[in-house]
Amino acid sequence: MSKNKIAIFGYGNHGKFIAKGLASDGFDVTIVESNKAFYEDAQTNGFNNVLFADVTKDSELKKMNLASFEQLVCVMDDEHLNVFLTLSLRSLFEDSYILSISDSLNVTKKLQMAGANKVIDLYEVSANKIYNLLDRPIATKLLEEFVHNEGAITFKEMLIPKHSFLDGMMAEDVDFSSYGILLVGMIDEELGHAFVFVTAGISHKLDSGDTIVCLGGKEELEAFEKLIAKKEM
Amino acid sequence: MKELLLSLALFLHRSPRYKFAKKFAKDLLFDANNVYKRYFDLTIIFLVVSSVLILIYEVKNPVPSWLDNYDIYVVSFIFAIEYLLRLWVHNDLSEMMIKEYNDSKFLNKEFSLYAVLKVGIIEKLKYMISPSAIVDILAILPAYRPLRILRVFILFRVFKLLRYTKSINQFVDVLVNKKFELLTLLFLLLFIVLTSGIAIYILEADVNKNIDTLFDGIYWAIVTISTVGYGDISPVTDVGRAISILIIVSGIAMISFVTSVIVSAFSERLNELKEYRIVEQMNKSKSFMIICGYGQMTKMFFRQKRKPLDNYVIMDSNIARVNAAKKDGYVAIHEDASSHKTLSRFDAEYCDITILCLTSSDVENIYITLNAKSISRNIKVIARVNDPETIDKFKYAGADEVLLPNLVANTMIYTAIRQPTMYKAIHAILTGKSIANIDEIHVHSTHAIVGKQIENLDFSSNKLLFIGIQRRGKFMFNPPKTEVVQAYDVLLVMGRKISLEYFKSLHEGDIHVKK
Repeated sequence: MSKNKIAIFGYGNHGKFIAKGLASDGFDVTIVESNKAFYEDAQTNGFNNVLFADVTKDSELKKMNLASFEQLVCVMDDEHLNVFLTLSLRSLFEDSYILSISDSLNVTKKLQMAGANKVIDLYEVSANKIYNLLDRPIATKLLEEFVHNEGAITFKEMLIPKHSFLDGMMAEDVDFSSYGILLVGMIDEELGHAFVFVTAGISHKLDSGDTIVCLGGKEELEAFEKLIAKKEM
Repeated sequence: MKELLLSLALFLHRSPRYKFAKKFAKDLLFDANNVYKRYFDLTIIFLVVSSVLILIYEVKNPVPSWLDNYDIYVVSFIFAIEYLLRLWVHNDLSEMMIKEYNDSKFLNKEFSLYAVLKVGIIEKLKYMISPSAIVDILAILPAYRPLRILRVFILFRVFKLLRYTKSINQFVDVLVNKKFELLTLLFLLLFIVLTSGIAIYILEADVNKNIDTLFDGIYWAIVTISTVGYGDISPVTDVGRAISILIIVSGIAMISFVTSVIVSAFSERLNELKEYRIVEQMNKSKSFMIICGYGQMTKMFFRQKRKPLDNYVIMDSNIARVNAAKKDGYVAIHEDASSHKTLSRFDAEYCDITILCLTSSDVENIYITLNAKSISRNIKVIARVNDPETIDKFKYAGADEVLLPNLVANTMIYTAIRQPTMYKAIHAILTGKSIANIDEIHVHSTHAIVGKQIENLDFSSNKLLFIGIQRRGKFMFNPPKTEVVQAYDVLLVMGRKISLEYFKSLHEGDIHVKK
């Protein structure tokens, strides 16, 4: 993974977990807190870039040079503060990518109005999980394993390099399953930067520069990633 | 004698046929899930209705003798059998005898047949004087020809139908709750009727040609106090009229009082009766869901549903939230799911029950989980956990699935940051809102694809992505093309909803059905 710069606002219930996960994945994490106790907590947990700031003050936010960050993540425990922060960040940094957490429908709406690029609703995702557990228990559990890297099988994004043997081939002509993996979808740069599932029923030409998402065993995926760099099969 | 009865009891105890017969009779009479009970009930209802119709018809018209015989003998005979069956299955004399015999052998005391029989027979007698048993026996009586007056008892057959309505029990229940008020009024009524009846008899028996006996006086008092006032008997003296005025006024007061007592008793119980109905209805369905708590989580859960959920009930101990749920159009009852009484009303033996503990308190969720599991291990519990430290407690309590909203959301955010493209794909798959559904195909034994090889299944032509097979708890990812599908496999397939539905419908049913 590249050294993405992520700013996390809030080191409470959510911030703690996310910061830890991202840091262990090699992200460059900066934590901003306005609560003294949480601020010290973050420092004792070994984060180097921890800023103590009053996030309600624009002047303090401006000082942080936030425009250089890849994503701004608003996960303050106080939802009012979270909405306010999202709004401040959007007004200060127009082009930043802002992700916020919400704990109810009304807050979600407010956050979207405040200009968050992505809002994750605490209860929506959980409620969805319950629904899925009831509706298709096996698929849900397996999928979770795939997503969270718990089992042997996982998802992987791969960039098709230049001069790869895949360049120019039609997606359905490649027998992915003989490599022990399955093609789930791709980001086709020819069709705009949108994610397309293979099951959409449209024929796709694979080009270098496209990103394909595959599902498979970790080793098979890595082997395949090396393989597609080659010119010939 | 003692020996003889005991050996008979032992013989019955050992006879599987006897046991089977008794159980069958019991199920037929009481078990709502018995397949034959329906037909049995319908037969009884038909007999009752036909015999009453005959009774009405024969008032003015001659009835053919075969119909009369049917009415008197066939119907009564069947009712007599029913009565005897009910008496028979009410308790088990032979079992009681054997139990007593074993007990006394164990205690080295002398076996007393008399004591057992006394208890058993008293129990039977108790059954015989219960209202429903009396109705049953009165319904048989018309069979006794010499007393034509017994024909009127055919009307008692109608009362047999009461057994099939639950509302009458509820009605009686409501009245029993107001026993004190109603009895007080009844005694007051009796007092007024008797005194004024006697008074009018004493005052007017000599002057009023319509009042001859004390019965006439009391009859007049009742007709007057009830404000019916036929007018066949009316007072002729001034004192008699004064008494009339008194009892008419007190009658109006009392009738309105009785009415208000009954009405208020019903309105107090109305909610309870409605909830009772809901629970009854739930128990009739094979599988249903109880959702505890109506908060953010439950609201969100209902927003997730892609197809309408039919068998569910929301339970909350907070009346404001119950009303909110009702206002939002959901089925909700005001009950405390952590009480044993509440949950045991649901039939965990016959139904698949899933309980979702979605309240915001961990303590309450754990309590509900324990409560459900103590009623039946069959109840599936999915619990929401707020504090990660309580997860172990939920596992101990027996929750089948636990779910931490914080953790789920955190992982989502984490994934969203770490693998943004993937997140989109995964989110789409998880929410099932887009073209990429991951679904399970449960292969049952008569499924058309059993025994087929994977490569012969038309996944790609149906624009589906075959991911793997779950077989006996193990998941096989991307199995070889020659793998053969077995019964009870679960196939994991990704694709658009319509392709999935189409594929499922194509292979549904038995082997002979092909496209």
